[in-house]
Amino acid sequence: MAIIDPIVNGLNSGWLHTDASQLQANQTFEADVVIVGTGAGGGVAAEILTQAGLSVIMIEAGPLKSSSDFNMEERVAYPNLYQQAAAMKTADKAIGIFQGRAVGGSTTVNWTTSIRTPTEALAFWAQHKSVAGLNRESLDPWFEKMEQRLNIHEWNYEPNRNNAALKQGCINLGWDYTVIKRNVAGCWNTGYCGMGCPVNAKQSMLVTTIPAALDKGAQLISRAKVMKIEHHNGQVFALKAQALDTHLRPTDVELLFKAKHYILSAGAIHTPVLLMRSQVPDPYQLLGKRTFLHPTLLSGGVFADAINGHSGAPQSIYSDEFVWKNTADGELGYKLEVPPVHPILIASKTLGYGASHAELMSQFNQLQVTIALIRDGYHPDSQGGEVHLTPKGFNLDYPLTDAFWRAARRAFASMAELQFAAGALKVLPISDGMPYLSSWKEVKESIANMVLAPLRTVVASAHVMGGCPFGEDEKLSMVDSYGQSHYLANLSVMDGSVFPTSLGANPQLSIYGITARNATKLAEKLTAGLT
Amino acid sequence: MKRRTFLMSAFAGTAALALGVNLYSPEFSLPEDSEAKDYRLLFSVLLPVILDGALPDVTTHKLAAQNRTLDAIKQSIAVLPDEQQTELFELLDMLENRLGLLVLTSSMTPLLMRSPAELTDMLETWRHSYFALLQTAYLGLRELIMASFYACPEHWNRLHYAKPELFKS
Repeated sequence: MAIIDPIVNGLNSGWLHTDASQLQANQTFEADVVIVGTGAGGGVAAEILTQAGLSVIMIEAGPLKSSSDFNMEERVAYPNLYQQAAAMKTADKAIGIFQGRAVGGSTTVNWTTSIRTPTEALAFWAQHKSVAGLNRESLDPWFEKMEQRLNIHEWNYEPNRNNAALKQGCINLGWDYTVIKRNVAGCWNTGYCGMGCPVNAKQSMLVTTIPAALDKGAQLISRAKVMKIEHHNGQVFALKAQALDTHLRPTDVELLFKAKHYILSAGAIHTPVLLMRSQVPDPYQLLGKRTFLHPTLLSGGVFADAINGHSGAPQSIYSDEFVWKNTADGELGYKLEVPPVHPILIASKTLGYGASHAELMSQFNQLQVTIALIRDGYHPDSQGGEVHLTPKGFNLDYPLTDAFWRAARRAFASMAELQFAAGALKVLPISDGMPYLSSWKEVKESIANMVLAPLRTVVASAHVMGGCPFGEDEKLSMVDSYGQSHYLANLSVMDGSVFPTSLGANPQLSIYGITARNATKLAEKLTAGLT
Repeated sequence: MKRRTFLMSAFAGTAALALGVNLYSPEFSLPEDSEAKDYRLLFSVLLPVILDGALPDVTTHKLAAQNRTLDAIKQSIAVLPDEQQTELFELLDMLENRLGLLVLTSSMTPLLMRSPAELTDMLETWRHSYFALLQTAYLGLRELIMASFYACPEHWNRLHYAKPELFKS
């Protein structure tokens, strides 16, 4: 049975797509609106602005790949679809970061978990970060709109065994758990969302909003990296971009983009980096600071029966038992989820080498993995990371603080308790020096005394947020609560970089809903000729 | 200068989750300059130690798996960003250089002439070192080799894993 590839069909139907790697000469493009980035923010903005009758250009640094390219192998997916071939790390190498880099951005490779912005986060932003007009009542209609648009529904099938263990552990311990809503339509339940959906069931930007925008005449430029925002007297007058070759290395071809309005949706890290590189006004030195990651810890549980964590919807259950337990700005909370279990991911994110590692890998199908995502950005000792420009790019300095390590110790204990409650035979906290633990009693003693440290404890992140915060107070924010720049009249930011803290939840639906609100407002202004 | 740069930059070798990459894909044909040096000999010394227990037991199969992994390592390195490649090459150059070896391992004996037990000692020293530089050297090589080995479907037998064949006719 052949799978219809909507991208191939769209291109054949005459979509305006330029693969900049194929360009031989400099070129200038013009439109009403130019959007940098095609992830959750850029995709939603492109559709809304195009529907409003505006001409739109989308620029993407990554390649245009589609289901025909998604062969369910990590060795192909990581270099094709992820920033730095999935090897991106913080400056000290202590945190590995997974972020998408292809048309569709991280939505092309995420695990489909769709959660509305938590009420606690919205309240904190309103109270401490000068964010205005974003509360449960005002935002829920936008979330509903995007849930309908992207077919976001509760996953009503049996969770796979990996998620079922999380659910069973919560039930046995009396902990909170939630069935996850997913952005899928006709999901085959294979478990390979992280490598690009091979059957186009995931309602990522790649197969929804971007095709809708292209159908209405929008243009897509792929493999083009925006290097500089040209601005003067509070106005942007052009974007300069570099064409990239098929290895995503710069060519000699330069591109110039001109528009009435510009939207940055390059994601946390790359949006702030572009603004910093362009030396936009930043009188309070906010750009790149307070970058958040939900730094994530892992715990492996070995079960007697087959877990097969590679198979089935990768995330269908989460537990918020510990996320907000100590109030928003108290001791750091953590969300419990599970990841898909695939060979490179697990081989890389576990410990040691030689016989001990080979033994762990031989239990691949019996391995249940639980993860704890630490909610950063609220506690005074959790200020996130800072992006710095380097001669060739950037680095992200993210100190892991004492408050983080206290949360990590609690999280390792919770994960082990949960895994034993779910029936694990033994549990391995993924931090070098820890042995397999065989009982909850042993856990309590070992984890209380375990050595936790950068590079020794495996820490990963799939959620990058912040670095260009929104709000009304210019001392706290770079853009207003609608994403409009405080300093450049025809520039907006619509992506995860606007969040003034982490979310305590997987970010895609927050970006969809808030962008839908803000892009709709922008469309009204632009079509009324008010900017 | 090279050593100094390396020490200052705290090296990222860390490379790679990236891996293997599809050898038959023209998208990932290697840039021409990558033919210059691939550190194959160096990695061939480290593979049996790092992949002990994961490599096949039968000698011919073991050799094939090692060679396949060496090819995959080359591909993994090719898709890394320039900065990470540079840091990795600095580490690998040091491991091929007696002075570099002395700095990293307190011994000038070439890795090729060290026994598996001595190589394990070296890795364990790095792994448990208080110096972030040595820890990242350990983690970088470990991750690159693990990712490259497990990138290859022909190495998944011991995992009892295979990707689904959705479109089998």
